[in-house]
Amino acid sequence: MTSTRANFDPQQQRAGIRRTVWIVGGIAFALFVLFIVKQFLWH
Amino acid sequence: MATHAAEHSHDDHAHDDHDHKPHGFINRWVFSTNHKDIGTLYLIFSFTMACIGAAFSGVIRTELMKPGLQFVQPYFFNQMTTMHALVMIFGAIMPAFVGLANWMIPLQIGAPDMALPRMNNWSFWILPFAFTILLSTLFMPGGAPAGGWTMYPPLAIQGGNSVAFLVFSVHLMGISSIMGAINIIATILNMRAPGMDLLKMPVFVWSWLITAFLLIAVMPVLAGAVTMLLTDKYFGTSFFNAAGGGDPVMFQHVFWFFGHPEVYIMILPAFGIVSEIIPTFSRKPLFGYQAMVFAIASIAFLSFIVWGHHMFTVGMPLGGELYFMFATMLIAVPTGVKVFNWVSTMWGGSLSFEAPMLWAIAFVILFTIGGFSGLMLALVPADFQYQDTYFVVAHFHYVLVTGALFAIIGAIYYWWPKWTGKMYNETWAKVHFWWSVVFINILFFPQHFLGLAGMPRRIPDYNVAFADWNLVSTIGAYGMFLTPIMMFAILWQSKKSGAPATMHVWEASHGLEWTVPSPAPFHTFATPPVIHDEDLAHGDITH
Repeated sequence: MTSTRANFDPQQQRAGIRRTVWIVGGIAFALFVLFIVKQFLWH
Repeated sequence: MATHAAEHSHDDHAHDDHDHKPHGFINRWVFSTNHKDIGTLYLIFSFTMACIGAAFSGVIRTELMKPGLQFVQPYFFNQMTTMHALVMIFGAIMPAFVGLANWMIPLQIGAPDMALPRMNNWSFWILPFAFTILLSTLFMPGGAPAGGWTMYPPLAIQGGNSVAFLVFSVHLMGISSIMGAINIIATILNMRAPGMDLLKMPVFVWSWLITAFLLIAVMPVLAGAVTMLLTDKYFGTSFFNAAGGGDPVMFQHVFWFFGHPEVYIMILPAFGIVSEIIPTFSRKPLFGYQAMVFAIASIAFLSFIVWGHHMFTVGMPLGGELYFMFATMLIAVPTGVKVFNWVSTMWGGSLSFEAPMLWAIAFVILFTIGGFSGLMLALVPADFQYQDTYFVVAHFHYVLVTGALFAIIGAIYYWWPKWTGKMYNETWAKVHFWWSVVFINILFFPQHFLGLAGMPRRIPDYNVAFADWNLVSTIGAYGMFLTPIMMFAILWQSKKSGAPATMHVWEASHGLEWTVPSPAPFHTFATPPVIHDEDLAHGDITH
């Protein structure tokens, strides 16, 4: 935790933002679908 | 003069002064992509919603002032309790924290703005539409939703078509929250200035990073649950309809899987705020920085595995009751760590009691009262007595008003001089505090007694045995209604004619936000700052 982040490069930063959005947004969407599908299959 | 201005329009000074703010009201505020302006919009929206929610509570407390039906009919009373909760939770408390996050996170991590500024604009501007839709149901045939903010079927879908509007507005609020959370996570993980390692971040930033993950995990679950309510009502499905093979209790499980973490969404950022304010006015570093961060993370984790404590009386196996009881009581451990660390930060410090510190200390004391009554509610045998009584109402108002709201007000007094460049009248800010702290306890403390005596919640009329404490509680409510007016007047006077604030504002303030001028320029940290240890809010724990 003491090291300075090396990737303060705008392009890498944008790529990092894009990656974060896809992962976090993907989790959110998956949870939305998962709970409805789960209710269809098992209630 | 014009020539003079033109000559200097490109020099550094003019650059700072004008800041390239967009021209015109619409461009500045409707199309805003600036984190500070969007933060301001969130805070104004939150204040407006808090006033509307307070008006609904005024109807509730006025009706409950005396036994018997005085002012409103029971069906309208039920609409008021439902709308009060929805407006306060989704319209006042959550947007206030998002507003503070927008203002402060980029400033505290040395970022020029949020990672996704245009999505930030969208996150905010969805909200006024969501709440217009929700509030419009008050004027519809059949009125507003009246089945409680928990929307339990079958009751909630037996109302009029307000259900559809409620579900759509909850969808919009959910989309707004999810987009806001994605933005906050992307900003914190990718936009920190070089040298701002994770364990060098202010606790407020940590609290929001963890809160944003909670939002991502639970808002889609709520969206799924209300979508199923909608299809049950309008499209013939039977997710929660026992007659069609569904299970109404399953809704309660899904709802509280969202609902319990939601409670922590409304309190974790408050923990972060208090962890910033107390060290500043104790003139000491925060005691146990790492423990504070891990405690927040532990509370967040535990919030996912305790939802059943809201449903003890619904019926569940003994093993389930025991599990949810003990898991819930476990939350007291990291919460206790936090309370002890705040007290330890103050211990031996050179304390001063400016307005933000007063709100923070009141938070620690009164939130702990809410925490203790929460522990009482966690006990299964006791909960069978407390369930659906005014004791529960007293509990969550101590957590959400003297907890979340007090922290928000403390944060506004703490960072206001940085936002506006103006100090406020300290005497009147203290009057605001003492007035609030007296009347809030007159309002909510007697509700413990009413609940223990057996008064049910969500009723417009009650046994005469409950009359005295209800009158006292209503007097407290009327006192509290003056406080938004008082706060507005204090901040308005400060904006118009307050004394100029210095860059550091407070004697012992630490953190990157205090290294920019007051008021904070429209654009900050366009060039990443060089971070010195003394600029860190809580120092470098690795040294």
